[in-house]
Amino acid sequence: MPEVEGWILDIFEDPKDGLVLYIVAQDHQRYRLTTPFPITFYALGNNSELRSLWVYLRHSHPDLHPAKATRLDVIAQRQVPALAITLPHSTEIRAIVNQIENRYPALNFADVDLPITVRFAAATGAYPLALCQIESDDQDRLIHIRPLESPWLIDHKSIPLETLFIAPNVDPQHKKPHYIHATIHHRGYRLGLSDWTEALAILRRIIHRFNPDLILTSWGDTWLLPLLIEKSREYNVDLGLCRETGRNVNIIPERTYFSYGQIVHRGQQVHLYGRIHIDQKNAMLWKDYGLEGTLETCRVTALPLQTSSRVSPGTGISAIEMQTALREGVFIPYQKQQAEIFKSVRGLFTADQGGMIYQPLIGLHRNVAMIDYFSMYPAIMVYYNISPETITTNVKHGDLVPTLDFAINNSVEGLVPKALRPLLKKRIELKKRLAGFSAWSPEIDPYTRTASALKWLLVVCFGYLGYKNARFGRIEAHQAVTAYSREALLLAKEAAKDLGYQVIHMYVDGLWVHHPEITNPNDIDPLLVEIQKRTGLPIALDGIFKWVVFVGSRGNRSRPVANRYFGVFQNGKIKVRGIDARRHDCTPFVGQSQLKIIKLLAKRDDPADALPEAVEYLRYRIEALQ
Amino acid sequence: MLPSAIALLGGAMGRTLPSATQILQQNEEALSRFRRALRRSDQQAFDDLFTAAHQHIAEAAYASHLMPFEVSLLCMLLEEHKTVMRLQDEISSLKSKNA
Repeated sequence: MPEVEGWILDIFEDPKDGLVLYIVAQDHQRYRLTTPFPITFYALGNNSELRSLWVYLRHSHPDLHPAKATRLDVIAQRQVPALAITLPHSTEIRAIVNQIENRYPALNFADVDLPITVRFAAATGAYPLALCQIESDDQDRLIHIRPLESPWLIDHKSIPLETLFIAPNVDPQHKKPHYIHATIHHRGYRLGLSDWTEALAILRRIIHRFNPDLILTSWGDTWLLPLLIEKSREYNVDLGLCRETGRNVNIIPERTYFSYGQIVHRGQQVHLYGRIHIDQKNAMLWKDYGLEGTLETCRVTALPLQTSSRVSPGTGISAIEMQTALREGVFIPYQKQQAEIFKSVRGLFTADQGGMIYQPLIGLHRNVAMIDYFSMYPAIMVYYNISPETITTNVKHGDLVPTLDFAINNSVEGLVPKALRPLLKKRIELKKRLAGFSAWSPEIDPYTRTASALKWLLVVCFGYLGYKNARFGRIEAHQAVTAYSREALLLAKEAAKDLGYQVIHMYVDGLWVHHPEITNPNDIDPLLVEIQKRTGLPIALDGIFKWVVFVGSRGNRSRPVANRYFGVFQNGKIKVRGIDARRHDCTPFVGQSQLKIIKLLAKRDDPADALPEAVEYLRYRIEALQ
Repeated sequence: MLPSAIALLGGAMGRTLPSATQILQQNEEALSRFRRALRRSDQQAFDDLFTAAHQHIAEAAYASHLMPFEVSLLCMLLEEHKTVMRLQDEISSLKSKNA
């Protein structure tokens, strides 16, 4: 294999070979390549400690090559000198760091616990699932790798995955399964569980004949694969689940933790080497974005596919920020210590707020346009340059954050905006394309799922900005985002008033505005342009309501409730929020009746005309109940 | 004494301070004995005042005043004055019709 074009399927560390890469080539061959991959981490501290560490390492670890380096520290907000320590074998990093930590407890560290694929992507530009040009020698050692596309490209060439699907006939937590379904190349196999000798023999033949790249399972992490491994040992059959010879599967134990007032359980995970295993039932947001979204998350985060399919979008955002930091020469803190800026009680009152939530005008409104800011919080971070290192208390050297006591230094682009900009741009581009497709276009589904994967990453990036344990989180940056969001909503309200609109409701990033003359989508354009001009943020029309009803509180009907309404768009589409039909604690009977009544009302231009029909239907439902 | 924002510290998960809605609700609860002692017709008026304050929660929160209930009282006055203005308008239009 002198030179081929192919996709990176899997990358993992090996104590002997450095890095192992599995490649799916365009000529349908599969290759296993190796390359040494030295990694660098940093020790930070005062000069005498670093000097002493340098002397110690020179004597005890002559292969480590410690050297002086300077990189940007986002907490200190300046370039900081450090000792760069380069390891020939990445697998040794934990042991070395522990050793140094015990000897020099006062030192801090950076770039320690980074996923190897993220390091590789930062160094070579080649990320998991990327199409690359690859050159290797006759012993399958990598000579050169060059990515042929960027993760931010929408029309990329997808990796042609040979996929084997296996699943038990029933949910093993509820009932004992009798057989396993295996499907590959549209051919189905039924493996009875009463005869393990035969079942294992068939599965072994399938894996050896088709050599799948991806084993897609249901309950593979928690039940199926552990059982297959156990039985293959018992019957002494080598299934060949891992492509890499001499490697066993990697089982990551189950985990239970406490998050946002809830106990969360994450099932155990079974990772393969040289082949990918994804368990649909244990994959992150599978129901929402499926395989397309999972592959997209992998490409943009540069996390290994088996990892990216199972971790939360927050881990994905962290990985994107890490890759940007590695490229930009910014320290990635190992154990972060950062105190909040001192604030007065008054300042705290102003800063500790979320988005603005107005109370709507109760009742029925006609000719109402619903407009909302596009990915508002990430857009604010990108367009207003909000990042931990751009926050400054020196208000003379920056742009003051509206209503708060600190400012944004706009002389350089922050790390977080730099990391998020391409993500936001790609999602905006995808949304634009989606809007242009006809309703029956086959491209809608894959595009929607890809856009959804990006949406989740953008949704969590705001939370991570305020999370104190996040590498690039800082509470003031989080507060600045909400302060700008309140400002943007007020600016939009003022623009609407100036152009003669009545504001019916406002909710964090959206406005419901009324004007007697708006009937088609173009009528709203001048307002959108004006808001964009005043705020610098992209805003779009969600739709124009033929009519919309904002309802009062259950306890007191004259008291308004935010974000609780039902209405019908001009194209006949119904939108409901917050009412019983949308609530999980509502019985299906009530929810269905409510939706049917709204559908009856939606048929007429004036919902009052449909009232007799609606009342009749309600009587019929009540009778049916009795 | 009515609960102020500082007295309500804690309890609200993920936040350092209680929200404007929580403060208004707790103030309303703190006045429940006062409400009970009122005549029925006065209770209706009392409830209307709190409804008026609820209508301006977003504005009150944005003001981030150290004594949030003072702003709520102003919200009640605001709605009262809107009613006065509306009635004045109606009177003057009736007057001009009759003249």
